[in-house]
Amino acid sequence: MAKIKLVATPKKRTSVGCGECRSTCQSACKTSCTVGNQNCEKLEREAKVNNK
Amino acid sequence: MVHTFNIDDRYYLFDVESSSLHVCDKLVTEVVKKMQGEEYDLSGVDSTVIEEIEKELNEIKEQGLLFSKEIKTLPIKSNLVKALCLHVCHDCNLKCKYCFAGQGNYKGANEYMSFEVAKNAVDFLIANSGSREILEMDFFGGEPLMNMDVIKKTVEYAKEEGKKAGKTFLFTTTTNGLLLDGETASWLNDEMENVVLSIDGRKEVHDAVRATKTDKGSYEYIIDNIKNFVKNRGDKHYYVRGTFTNKNLDFANDVTALADMGLTEISLEPVVTKEDDELYISKEMLPKIKEEYKRLEREYLKRLKNKERLFNFFHFAIDLENGVCLNKRVSACGAGNEYFSVTPCGDIYPCHQFANNKDYLMGNVFEKKLNEDIRKVFKETNLLSKPTCKDCFAKYHCSGGCAANNINFNGDINKPYEMTCEMMKARMECALDIFSQKKEIDG
Repeated sequence: MAKIKLVATPKKRTSVGCGECRSTCQSACKTSCTVGNQNCEKLEREAKVNNK
Repeated sequence: MVHTFNIDDRYYLFDVESSSLHVCDKLVTEVVKKMQGEEYDLSGVDSTVIEEIEKELNEIKEQGLLFSKEIKTLPIKSNLVKALCLHVCHDCNLKCKYCFAGQGNYKGANEYMSFEVAKNAVDFLIANSGSREILEMDFFGGEPLMNMDVIKKTVEYAKEEGKKAGKTFLFTTTTNGLLLDGETASWLNDEMENVVLSIDGRKEVHDAVRATKTDKGSYEYIIDNIKNFVKNRGDKHYYVRGTFTNKNLDFANDVTALADMGLTEISLEPVVTKEDDELYISKEMLPKIKEEYKRLEREYLKRLKNKERLFNFFHFAIDLENGVCLNKRVSACGAGNEYFSVTPCGDIYPCHQFANNKDYLMGNVFEKKLNEDIRKVFKETNLLSKPTCKDCFAKYHCSGGCAANNINFNGDINKPYEMTCEMMKARMECALDIFSQKKEIDG
């Protein structure tokens, strides 16, 4: 019987490096470096185009 | 590396390299510990049960979702500048006890940025932004609204020049709320992509540290301004941003106090001060702080399940399935390379926390060039240059911490400040649990 359940299926980690993402400290904190809650601007823009 | 943890009776496996999250029971976490050569307790457990779990774990490993190998990727860092923090005013109409900026003037003169300096900062940003289309500019202080005229002129100028150069500017303002009313509030609401509003939570907590120039609590002078501003904000970005100190280690109450007033987008950060400061958060306080994050998480989940008085907490927002690419995750903070701060006289520093620290003076917007030796230090720092991050499960979330904190507390940009590491890890476990619980609620 399965004892382990997958909760998050991440996308394969790629190193796109287009640099269009926000500068980290422009966010709300100003005193800590948090990238884990940022979005990929490239994917967001592509999604906007596809949704048009 | 697999990080095993639990929040209350919910047990998890977090595969650091692939970002996979699995829910399981306590027994599974003990088997994983055994497989990773860590201390474990499987006393009294039948060996066939352990073998069965190991088999299941190995099957998941084959799918690339557990025990994934470390991806050693050095970041590609360009010389493009994408963001500037303009210190439009090194003066303040409050005198908060914990102000890292020395009550607004960064231990220097009470200066106001001229439009001429701001204009040159805009030109500097555009000229150094290369192919990047979206540029960020934030107005900071001191209290930036004390120099509102320059903010308005700068926004107008940046939009005009940006249009000519094919750039779009995203503006942010931080404010203590004292002057946030009438036409100013309305203009900021229209022009700012994001607004960061400083408020610490409960009235008594706020007033104990955020004082007026006449030593009165400032809460009564800012609260209506902030509430009205948020009410008119619609679906545009904002954050109420508070600070907690050793005087309010029960800060979950401050987060919920803000949420209950309808200020739902919340960030609350630990104070950054030195050991001799009366508000300093010491190592001994960490267990209490970690427990407080869990208490906040329980309240967050309770409200989520009941669909009432909902709020967002900056450090609980995490998207395991999308998010930024690996390059960004190993790049560390962009300060000193792609992000800089500009003081009222036009001097350029790696970020707002270095302002007026002459050891880190990188140039001036009128010179139009940067000290490349200092820039090299910031450009070369990354996740792989920080040995203590190697075995940390939160490394791809924080990218090795705040460069200023690392330098100010440990004298080394590559040596993360342990206190923030511990808090980051505690918050991340809560965020992972929330991510899982949300999935369950959404079905």
